[in-house]
Amino acid sequence: MGLPMDPVAANVDAVEPWAGEAEPAQKPEEPSLSARQWVRQNLFSTPFNSVLTVVFGLFSLLVARGLLNFTFSEEREWDAVRTNLRLLFTHAYPEEQYIRIWVCVGTIVVLAGLSVGLLAGRGRGVSMKKLSLNLIGVGSAVALGVVLREPSVLKDADGEVLRDDDGVLRESFAAAMADRWAWWLAAAVLVGAGAALWHLLGDERRRKTFVPSVEMFVALVGLLVASAWVYPWGHYAFADGEFIAEPGRTVAMTTKLPWTVMWVLLIAAIATGRQLRRAGAGGGVRVALNLAWLLSPFVLYWVVLRDPALDWGRVATVDIPLAVLFAVGGAAVLWLLTDPRIGELGRIIATGLVGVAAFNWVAAFFGWYSMLQKVRLSFLLLALAALLAHNFAGERAQRLRLLGGWAAVTAVFHYMATIMNTPSTVETPTEALIGGFAVTVIVAVFTLLFSFPLGVLLALARTSKLPIFRVLATSFIEVIRGVPLITILIFCAVILKLFLPDGMSISLIAAATLGYTFFSAAYLAENVRGGLQSIRRGQFEASDAVGLTGVQRTVFIVLPQALRVSIPPLVGQMIATFKETSLLAIIGIFDLLRMANSVIPAQTQFLGVKREGLLFVCLVYWIFAYSMSKHSQRLEKKLGVGER
Amino acid sequence: MSVSDATTAVTAELAARDDMIVCEGVNKWFGDFQALDGISAVIKEREVVVVLGPSGSGKSTWIRCINRLEVHQEGRIVVDGVELTNDLRNIEKIRSEVGMVFQQFNLFPHLTVLDNITLAPIWVRKKPKRETEELARSLLERVGIPEQAEKYPGQLSGGQQQRVAIARALAMEPRIMLFDEPTSALDPEMIKEVLDVMKELATSGMTMMVVTHEMGFAREVADRVIFMEDGQIVETGTPEHFFTSPEEERTRLFLSQIL
Ligand SMILES: Nc1ncnc2c1ncn2[C@@H]1O[C@H](COP(=O)(O)OP(=O)(O)OP(=O)(O)O)[C@@H](O)[C@H]1O
Ligand SMILES: [Mg+2]
Repeated sequence: MGLPMDPVAANVDAVEPWAGEAEPAQKPEEPSLSARQWVRQNLFSTPFNSVLTVVFGLFSLLVARGLLNFTFSEEREWDAVRTNLRLLFTHAYPEEQYIRIWVCVGTIVVLAGLSVGLLAGRGRGVSMKKLSLNLIGVGSAVALGVVLREPSVLKDADGEVLRDDDGVLRESFAAAMADRWAWWLAAAVLVGAGAALWHLLGDERRRKTFVPSVEMFVALVGLLVASAWVYPWGHYAFADGEFIAEPGRTVAMTTKLPWTVMWVLLIAAIATGRQLRRAGAGGGVRVALNLAWLLSPFVLYWVVLRDPALDWGRVATVDIPLAVLFAVGGAAVLWLLTDPRIGELGRIIATGLVGVAAFNWVAAFFGWYSMLQKVRLSFLLLALAALLAHNFAGERAQRLRLLGGWAAVTAVFHYMATIMNTPSTVETPTEALIGGFAVTVIVAVFTLLFSFPLGVLLALARTSKLPIFRVLATSFIEVIRGVPLITILIFCAVILKLFLPDGMSISLIAAATLGYTFFSAAYLAENVRGGLQSIRRGQFEASDAVGLTGVQRTVFIVLPQALRVSIPPLVGQMIATFKETSLLAIIGIFDLLRMANSVIPAQTQFLGVKREGLLFVCLVYWIFAYSMSKHSQRLEKKLGVGER
Repeated sequence: MSVSDATTAVTAELAARDDMIVCEGVNKWFGDFQALDGISAVIKEREVVVVLGPSGSGKSTWIRCINRLEVHQEGRIVVDGVELTNDLRNIEKIRSEVGMVFQQFNLFPHLTVLDNITLAPIWVRKKPKRETEELARSLLERVGIPEQAEKYPGQLSGGQQQRVAIARALAMEPRIMLFDEPTSALDPEMIKEVLDVMKELATSGMTMMVVTHEMGFAREVADRVIFMEDGQIVETGTPEHFFTSPEEERTRLFLSQIL
């Protein structure tokens, strides 16, 4: 089945360089055109093209005008969004516990800063030329927006034009957003700055100097944070039919200090990352950073959602000892099993462990003895590791690395099992402690974390030689892919509870994550299978000929190549999953969409105000999905996928 | 290593001490098509055997049966005293003793040259990493490309890739090397560099079985030439005998076409 079907992947090992390290031929400098030449060549080269340019230019202007007028119409009550920012992002998360949210944001900011400083610092950034052109472009767009905006006024329910006491037309939006001249000013400043930069730089060569994008980003964020100190973004109080910026109550007022801290943290982290790189910090630091990224969702989940009054006694007497026991005992077993000289004895021990693990489940079924669920699962984990161990036998250093991996897996597993079992006492009005965008992020991140390994396993099982694996995986994948996502979600949210054994419960968010994980894993599996099939038969034969075992072949030869080929579809799948989290609204979770669609329009002061919230939701989703796809493009380029 | 009693018995009965490969009445079918038809041959230790034959005569199939990339259905194959059966342990043992070089190189494109060579010794032979890397570098020296260790296969020429493939097979310290048309995918100017490595290997005493169309190599290096057609061994003999006075009509026809 390993025939080369994918033309992209075919011939990988014959001619092309693998890591994309071949130096591309130096592109000849394109002669730079003057603006007039460019317009003539690209827009009005023939009469027919001129007509097309004019017609579609007018069309896009009209669309832009419609959008702008919709967005910035005086009827838009953007206060519905600004007042409810907190609701949109975290729902009813108690204000006095907000420090936990900040800890999470801070952790992510620090990790991101370290990564950027450590890895991405070499990027060239944006050329001065592009920067000044962009400034001029954005400025012109703002000006165009102001020109295109229809003059419109606020009307009351009977269609009467509203005037304030002095007889001036009431423009609610304009009142809140300052006057139109401010926009003209902004446009002028932007265009002016761009033009000034262009002229200051004089000749072409200096225009090609680069502004590092990291610094630019930090500066922009800094501007935004600084603005929170002078301008009351966000939360407005509503009194006597007026919105009043109430000092001390705006979102900007309550968050400007934390945001400033975040900004400082970001700078410090980037600086630290760069320092580390300059000091020649090698693979170790990178591995540690990646591990921190990988573990952060688990820790942060606990930080946000778990009980401050956790039963530490039980944790200390039961949970931690169990985890240590399995980590150490398992490590000892694996140390023995990875000894190259162990031979037949290893097989006996591994088989014995599988027997014990299986017997625990049989005993549970008949109720012979009771045992914590996580102990049963730990035994299963250990049995699996023992079965695979002989494939990874070798010298000391190699075995020690393996034991480290085992300890990490046990730690994460026991940690998850523990926090899943401790109920929260943070009081909130709804069943779920947190909502809004935060829940979107939580579900999306955990779905990605769980569905990726599950998808790879399913793909391997579906292509395995053992019929039982093949049948199981194929049925699972085809059933999931044949059922609409929303059905799976409702099934998990409503029906799953009825199937669970006594005494076991599952929160709505966990149930939803499970549903998304199944769904996403089924599709990921098909993508990975595509990658597996693109691997040439010669790779399998060469692996066999040098004596690799099936497991070794899969781990060292097949999967690395298959995953690399499947990166573009994998990222596409991840973005799709992220967007599909908006379905959470339907199964009763107060996610971002539900806030905008039903919660805010039900507030007395914003009765029926939906469009603003929905537009905002679109914007938030777009920003994240777009930056993810940009990032994946960069990743693909770095890996040389699609350039072969 | 432990070899089961049954296998020892077979060895005693079938193979003399210095027999490296023994085939006896090997038959293989692809569906209804018989690709190997009663192949019987013995290859001695340190012997270099070149297998010739027209396209589709079953040369690849035979050579691939010897390290069980293909499974024969009838007859016996004993390699270095171990019979090829469905017993996985025998297969593992044989594969780590028999090196194979493919027409299409089949290097692992996502690993550097060094990793290509060290992967199997580390994970199959369980050798220490540092020792293996030293071995790999000395092998690269031996095949004449010590400076390419850190590159990826895709950055090398065909001839260099094939020499890496030979080094990769040698790193397992095999007792037998199988070559399936190692120079057929190469440009003419690269053929010599690969053949030189193979000649050096032959002089060093490696047992080799080579499928090739390079008659010069056969004449110069081979101890014996086996001519196949339609899945059968038609004629066997020393190169002088084979190229100067072949007995079979079919052999003469083949030689007249190819020379
Ligand atoms: N996997 C397979 N399935 C079906 N038929 C096969 C398969 N592999 C080989 N054959 C057939 O078996 C016969 C022998 O093939 P083989 O590849 O051994 O020939 P060869 O002597 O190596 O030829 P060449 O010089 O072209 O490489 C051919 O007729 C071929 O079509
Ligand atoms: Mg062939």
